[in-house]
Amino acid sequence: MFKNIADVRKRLGSQQYIASEEIGTVVYLAQSLCKPILAEGPAGVGKTELAKAWAAAARRPLVRLQCYEGLDESKALYEWEYAKQMLYTQLLRDTLQNVLSDVQTLGEAANRLAQEEDVFFSENFLLPRPLLTALMSDEPVVLLIDEIDRADVEFEAFLLEVLSDFQVSVPELGTIHAKHQPMVLLTSNNTRELSEALKRRCLYLYVDYPTHKAELEIVRLKVPDLRPELAQQAVAVVHQLRNMDLRKLPSISETLDWARALVTLNADSIDQKTLTNTLTVLLKYEADVAKARRMMGRE
Amino acid sequence: MDNRVVEFVRGLRASGVRVSLAESVDAMNAIEALGIVNKDVFRESLRATLVKESDDFAAFNELFPLYFGSDGPPLQSAMEDLSADEQDMLKMALSAMSGRLQQLMAWLTSGEGPTKEELEELARRSGADWANSQQEGHWVTRRMLRQMGYAHLEEQIRQLVEMLQQMGMSREAIEKLLGVVEANKEALAEQTARQVGLQIAQQRANRPEDLHGPDLMYKSFDALTANETAILRQEVQRLATQLRSRAALRRKRGRQGKFDSKATIRANQRYGGVPLELKYKTRKLKPSLVLLCDVSRSTENVVEFMLRLSYQLHDQVSKMRSFAFYNRLEPIPDEVMTKLRHDQPEAAFEVIRQLLPYIPYGTDLGGSLAEFTENHLGVVNGRTTLIILGDGRNNFSSPRIDLIKSLQRKAKKLIWFNPEPRGAWGTDDSDMLEYEPLCDAVYEVRNLAQLATAVDKLMAGG
Repeated sequence: MFKNIADVRKRLGSQQYIASEEIGTVVYLAQSLCKPILAEGPAGVGKTELAKAWAAAARRPLVRLQCYEGLDESKALYEWEYAKQMLYTQLLRDTLQNVLSDVQTLGEAANRLAQEEDVFFSENFLLPRPLLTALMSDEPVVLLIDEIDRADVEFEAFLLEVLSDFQVSVPELGTIHAKHQPMVLLTSNNTRELSEALKRRCLYLYVDYPTHKAELEIVRLKVPDLRPELAQQAVAVVHQLRNMDLRKLPSISETLDWARALVTLNADSIDQKTLTNTLTVLLKYEADVAKARRMMGRE
Repeated sequence: MDNRVVEFVRGLRASGVRVSLAESVDAMNAIEALGIVNKDVFRESLRATLVKESDDFAAFNELFPLYFGSDGPPLQSAMEDLSADEQDMLKMALSAMSGRLQQLMAWLTSGEGPTKEELEELARRSGADWANSQQEGHWVTRRMLRQMGYAHLEEQIRQLVEMLQQMGMSREAIEKLLGVVEANKEALAEQTARQVGLQIAQQRANRPEDLHGPDLMYKSFDALTANETAILRQEVQRLATQLRSRAALRRKRGRQGKFDSKATIRANQRYGGVPLELKYKTRKLKPSLVLLCDVSRSTENVVEFMLRLSYQLHDQVSKMRSFAFYNRLEPIPDEVMTKLRHDQPEAAFEVIRQLLPYIPYGTDLGGSLAEFTENHLGVVNGRTTLIILGDGRNNFSSPRIDLIKSLQRKAKKLIWFNPEPRGAWGTDDSDMLEYEPLCDAVYEVRNLAQLATAVDKLMAGG
């Protein structure tokens, strides 16, 4: 458990995650109010990374649920292990016959069998998927629900029960309550509007591109081999690119890839040639690359 | 403090941020957990609990300092640095001035500004009650400062200095006095601006909303005032959510359609071929759309709402291309959507106007269709639903019925959205009655409700 906001930031920092005051506050609030966090922002600013760092900093296992179109309850929550059920039925055939040996009528046999039904629909045959894993875990976990905006609207509605009461209903077993309340982080790239009901249940965190200073700090931390003045230059170039009208702006992860590329290429300075050769690490669209080259060439 | 937070929430709601009761309870809990000592933390905790949309951050940032800021920088006293004699001189010089200015100079020199009540009264007299937005607030602030006598301030200060010199006050003392007055002048102006901002926010929160979104949905697009359009813009989002869940439900039910024998056999290999798990063919019902919008003056509103709706629903559509036409035809650039999303409709239409400059009686649908057929026919195929949004008025040029016919054959469906009342079709230069029988469906879209129904039918494939 975190003691205060400064502690949150320090411990996230020890996991190589530089948290702004805002992130620290929201994470601390999530813990003290027991509320999920909804993190929005452009792709590649470290939303998923935050969940990993959070789990590591709080020394809790991370359970991840990646959302995609068509994700449904059976994939997110639980499945019955048909194969195992079949296998057990086969293996237990003799026992079953013993149980049913002294009955006379078909109806009686069915009744007898119905009494044993619970054997086959018990937790033994339940295959928990991420959500159920998080709820049934013996120690508290951090649950990451990644890219919720990709999932369908119905799935979002289904999540509401999990997020507000931390319980789920399995028809054959009844309602399962969480043993420990998981810390939940939902991320969204804002490709569609999420429902009001979901937003209402969460604390909202908007993660934007970092400031020049913060990004420099991140680069220095993650790519320590890059020379300081080069790192300074690289971050400046990235910030310049972000001010341009591009289809896809370079994210932090791309800055880091680029920094690593510069180290690998043994670059002494970011001159025109290095830049032209490595620009494709930062920009992922041909039109963007051309635009950036034109602009860099002008200076 | 609780009271202040409640008032702040009301202020947020009045500027269009949706805050539920549960969220204000969360805000209170957050304050309890973190306290209010650290201003930044306090601010973050309010924002994380109350504002769930990055577009609403602007409203939050504008209102927060008004409700929780200090009342502006404090005024300093000039008296402390002066000797008793000099203080007397200053008092005498001040008493020689006329009423209103004397008051202002007293505020500026004594370090005791106007009381809260006095400021409120001044703001009211300057028309703060009538202002609707923080932009108008700047204007009220200027008026208020003028009322307080800022217009003649420079001159008054000069006169004061002259008088004090005649009375024999030392140069250093006067310099010092001027420094303090100058600083106080800024501080008082800022206090005033804050007071006005707060008063406007509060009275906006207290004013009953006269027209609600749902009523406005039935008001015709061309009769909407600017204010009503703004309310409807927020309504679009909720409307889109409704339409989206309906479309998703329809797709889900559509899924239950056909049994897929191949997939079933494959999936059940692991059960030894016993078909435990049945598979169905997933029918892709997402339509692929091509939108042609008439962007003449009369259709601006309906085009804006159509673009907004289609943007909100873009995940329900497999592919979407939009074009604007007027006297010619141009693809609508992404920039327009970005501007609409950031609530800058004027700027968005400015972009379109630059592509298609305004000419009186310039609409040429026939010509635009010819251009579309010539340059962009590739975007239409057997799976495309082609939508034309326009009034079908051609200014008596050729309606090019032949092109509509061939487009209808090429596309899966041709659908027409007409923002004019049905009775007006075919009058004057309207060729609508000629187009109508060629389309697969024609909808009258005079208001948002009709537009939503039409879009819903479109998503259902009709």
